[in-house]
Amino acid sequence: MDFKLTEEQELIRKNMREFAEKYVDPIAVEIDENSRHPAELFQKLAEGDWLGMPIPVEYGGAGADYLTHVIAVEELSRSCASTGFTVSIHVGIAAMLILLFGNEQQKQKYLIPLAKGQNLGAFVLTEPGAGTDIMAATTTAVLDGNDYVLNGTKTFTSNGPTGGTYLVFAWTDKAAGRKGMSAFIIPRDTPGMKAGEHFNKMGLRSSQTSEMVFKDCRTPRENLLGKEGAGLAMAMTGFDHGRTGIAAQSVGILQAALDESIRYSKERVQFGAPIARQQAISWMIADMATDLAAARFLTYHAAWLKDQQQPFSKEASMAKLFASEAAMRHTIKAVQIQGGYGYCKGAKVERLMRDAKITEIYEGTSEAQRMIISGNVLR
Amino acid sequence: MAGIWIFAEKREQALELLNIGRRLAAKTGTAVSALLPGNPDAARDYIAHGADEVLLLPPLAADQSCEAYLPVIVEEAKTADPDVFLCAATPRGKELAARIAARLETGLCSSCIALNYDEGGKNLEMERIAYGGAAIQKVTCLTRPVMATIPPRTFEPVTAEAGREGHIRKLPAPPPSRVRVLERKVRTRETRDITEAKVVIAVGRGFEKPEDLALARQLADALGGEIGCTRPISEENHWLPQELCIGLSGIQIKPDLYLGLGVSGQIQHVTGIRNAKVIAAVNKDENAPIFGVADFGIVGDLYDAAPKLLQELKRGS
Amino acid sequence: MPTIIACFKWVIDEAYIRRGFSGDLDFSSVDYKISDYDRNAIEEAVRLKGSHGGSVIAMTVGTPEATKGVKDALSRGPDQACFIADADFNKLEPSQTAAILADVIRSRIVNYDLILCGEGSSDLYAQQVGARLAEHLEIPCISFVQKVDIDGGQVVAERRVEEGIEIVAAPLPALVTVLPEINVPRIPGVKDTLTASKKPVMTIRKGDLAPLGGARLQTVGMTAARMDRICEKFGTEAAEITRFVDALRKKAVIS
Ligand SMILES: Cc1cc2nc3c(=O)[nH]c(=O)nc-3n(C[C@H](O)[C@H](O)[C@H](O)COP(=O)(O)OP(=O)(O)OC[C@H]3O[C@@H](n4cnc5c(N)ncnc54)[C@H](O)[C@@H]3O)c2cc1C
Ligand SMILES: Cc1cc2nc3c(=O)[nH]c(=O)nc-3n(C[C@H](O)[C@H](O)[C@H](O)COP(=O)(O)OP(=O)(O)OC[C@H]3O[C@@H](n4cnc5c(N)ncnc54)[C@H](O)[C@@H]3O)c2cc1C
Repeated sequence: MDFKLTEEQELIRKNMREFAEKYVDPIAVEIDENSRHPAELFQKLAEGDWLGMPIPVEYGGAGADYLTHVIAVEELSRSCASTGFTVSIHVGIAAMLILLFGNEQQKQKYLIPLAKGQNLGAFVLTEPGAGTDIMAATTTAVLDGNDYVLNGTKTFTSNGPTGGTYLVFAWTDKAAGRKGMSAFIIPRDTPGMKAGEHFNKMGLRSSQTSEMVFKDCRTPRENLLGKEGAGLAMAMTGFDHGRTGIAAQSVGILQAALDESIRYSKERVQFGAPIARQQAISWMIADMATDLAAARFLTYHAAWLKDQQQPFSKEASMAKLFASEAAMRHTIKAVQIQGGYGYCKGAKVERLMRDAKITEIYEGTSEAQRMIISGNVLR
Repeated sequence: MAGIWIFAEKREQALELLNIGRRLAAKTGTAVSALLPGNPDAARDYIAHGADEVLLLPPLAADQSCEAYLPVIVEEAKTADPDVFLCAATPRGKELAARIAARLETGLCSSCIALNYDEGGKNLEMERIAYGGAAIQKVTCLTRPVMATIPPRTFEPVTAEAGREGHIRKLPAPPPSRVRVLERKVRTRETRDITEAKVVIAVGRGFEKPEDLALARQLADALGGEIGCTRPISEENHWLPQELCIGLSGIQIKPDLYLGLGVSGQIQHVTGIRNAKVIAAVNKDENAPIFGVADFGIVGDLYDAAPKLLQELKRGS
Repeated sequence: MPTIIACFKWVIDEAYIRRGFSGDLDFSSVDYKISDYDRNAIEEAVRLKGSHGGSVIAMTVGTPEATKGVKDALSRGPDQACFIADADFNKLEPSQTAAILADVIRSRIVNYDLILCGEGSSDLYAQQVGARLAEHLEIPCISFVQKVDIDGGQVVAERRVEEGIEIVAAPLPALVTVLPEINVPRIPGVKDTLTASKKPVMTIRKGDLAPLGGARLQTVGMTAARMDRICEKFGTEAAEITRFVDALRKKAVIS
């Protein structure tokens, strides 16, 4: 057992913290309020190789391990959960799936620009009628000559309006069930693919979420990712990575909630003493710190398993489930600790609470995680 | 004539050092020697202000700077063997002191803010700020002479005493230093001294453009105060002269009211306002550390709050 | 092409120092960092290399745990590092640090052109090591520099003095201490950090050095600075502004 991070991991955490304090903190409130995608910030992230951390150097990445990526997502999310998530889905799912399943030509053409941060990746699976129940999807891809032709409507696509490279999931053979869905790499501006207006959300507001509409969208056969029919299995692998990222995002939110709670409760004086001296408050903080430690260990363990090339599906689900629910539970407490001030715009805890909620929903709701975990342990 | 040595580039700094020098000399029954660089005219004045001896350092050639005196001072110190050697902590003073200390193989307490003999009257205990202002470090020097640099305006200047006598002695001219001055840009001091101001409005990086400093000026005018700033404002943005920079590497102030606008309140800045009677601040980040060290803080945009404050001040008075 | 040495110190990050309830300093959860202005020194060395070629050696005296600091320094662009390590080296005072650096530079890095140091370290801020090191090496020293360049066999620098600025020149080799405004230190990218450990590090132990002289300055106390204030917060609504101004009037700091 070795609970120590490497010096490189510690330094990268420190550098990301400095980066976030310098470039993210000053705009976090504004991009949340205006629901704005900070393109200038992503330019900076790209320059520091933060948008391709776990991708090998020969494919434009930094060649770090997955744990390093997870630590950076955590540290980024501590300042802005939207930005942390955008990095997570861009690298952890979009780029990662091309790395794992793409052929050399696809890696050269799509992975390198993604890893260098020249454009953002998106993962296009959910549909209006198919959320948790992904088999209810209706989008189809039909082979016509050398092209696949896609038709259907996707929704809740993160990086939909701002993406450059879309991984789109569609039925190539609906009758084949779990083996009938395929994945396609579709670059921005492909005729027939259109991103909708970005949604006005409760939280995660600077991450751009939209519908993606496919109307006779033709994409050449060479853009099929992996084998025909392997789409769902690849999506699940993507989720293993992505959920570890969401767990990291939740840990970042939770850390920020703890930082805020410690600071505020030591400063705020009521009844002649800092409220931190009240057991009701200090116990909330004790629970918060404890859950944070547990969430962090679960998350790092999932990433570590990935780096050891061991299965980590169940662990990723557990980390995501625990960390996201802890983030939600404790950001509510963090608002409680700040009373009326915590309920007002401008208080960081208010944003943390809104941002925490999404972690229990996307990349599989808490209920979906429990289905996966129970399925795993009851097998 | 061993005892207490002082060195300062300027008269007002010398008077502050003479003040400490006299106090220490009285305690130990020794004399005070002042090094006087350049123009010898002030020698009598130094004696009137407490020097028992003035050591004249001859004027330098145009391309030479203070550091040229190093070998002469060191030679003289080796013969005279002073107990204590105090230098004003100006940029040149700090460098010179460290180099003298290296050559005399002795210890140096940098930026000393208090010095007192311990109970036995043997060791000089010197205090200085450490960890950016989070801590006070107390040191003693184990070798001779005990050296310290003293930030200007840390101590009161000494007052003159009529009828004081003292020696004046010329030290030899030094050989030219290898560091040659090619050009001097003298900063015009267009600002007033804010160390004595009753009200200081401090400007931080929360200001977006130099024009906006007008807001701070108006507040200062309304309160009969002066403007100061954080280090990034003077050193990075160059919006205000560096003598207005408050803090560890700038000046210490002790106004009745310090009001920081868009100042985050990092320890290095805050250490310069420790002695303010009341600390107030406007910052839009409610987590800014300044609120932890301020008596009264407005959480809000300075562009919103400052005009309102101005209005309120005008209304009330 | 110049060989430039950038000295740095791996220090306690003062942001993590807490004040215990009894006024003592609580170092229990501190982290370390490269002293702020030493980052400027490293950055400037790397910048000079960028325009003049040559190589940069990052050099530090510290405890064996400072290996992380060595990697941090190397991730900022130097070609190699020189790490002088001993478990006792966290208690050095400036005269000792300077003596150790001088010993190593004299004995192991014979041909160097320029040494860069930060203006002062962010922990003790004694501002002595640079000047003392120059004395040991008997080379010219230029302190508090906001702009520096190498021009043939000499260094030209703009240094801060009491009355303004002096532009000075000195023959190489020379030592320069830099002010923070000389540059904006980079935040190393992920790749920079990952490749740092592949760069050569010369590690020197206490036993490899000339016997270390005793401390000349002794720390006899270190206490937390007190700053007890009222810490009352106000909003920006009219009533709040009035309350704020009233509070100042009550304290009689404004009329
Ligand atoms: C901001 C945001 C970003 C997103 N980004 C992406 C993206 O980039 N790509 C993408 O493909 N999708 C994305 N999604 C979609 C997200 O993954 C889905 O919202 C999620 O999977 C849930 O689907 P749904 O919203 O349709 O809810 P539903 O599936 O309709 O679920 C509603 C509720 O019923 C529960 N439920 C459903 N089935 C069961 C069951 N069998 N047993 C118990 N409870 C059940 C759910 O847990 C939930 O509580 C995003 C969503 C949001 C809000
Ligand atoms: C060894 C050492 C010595 C130093 N010496 C000094 C020194 O002597 N003096 C000194 O000042 N610093 C010194 N520093 C630097 C110090 O650490 C800080 O970096 C500096 O004080 C920060 O200046 P600031 O508050 O202006 O800027 P920032 O830290 O950038 O803070 C700007 C603040 O403005 C707020 N703000 C932004 N926009 C608005 C708005 N519209 N309305 C209201 N608020 C707004 C922000 O929330 C933020 O808190 C030293 C550092 C070191 C390492």
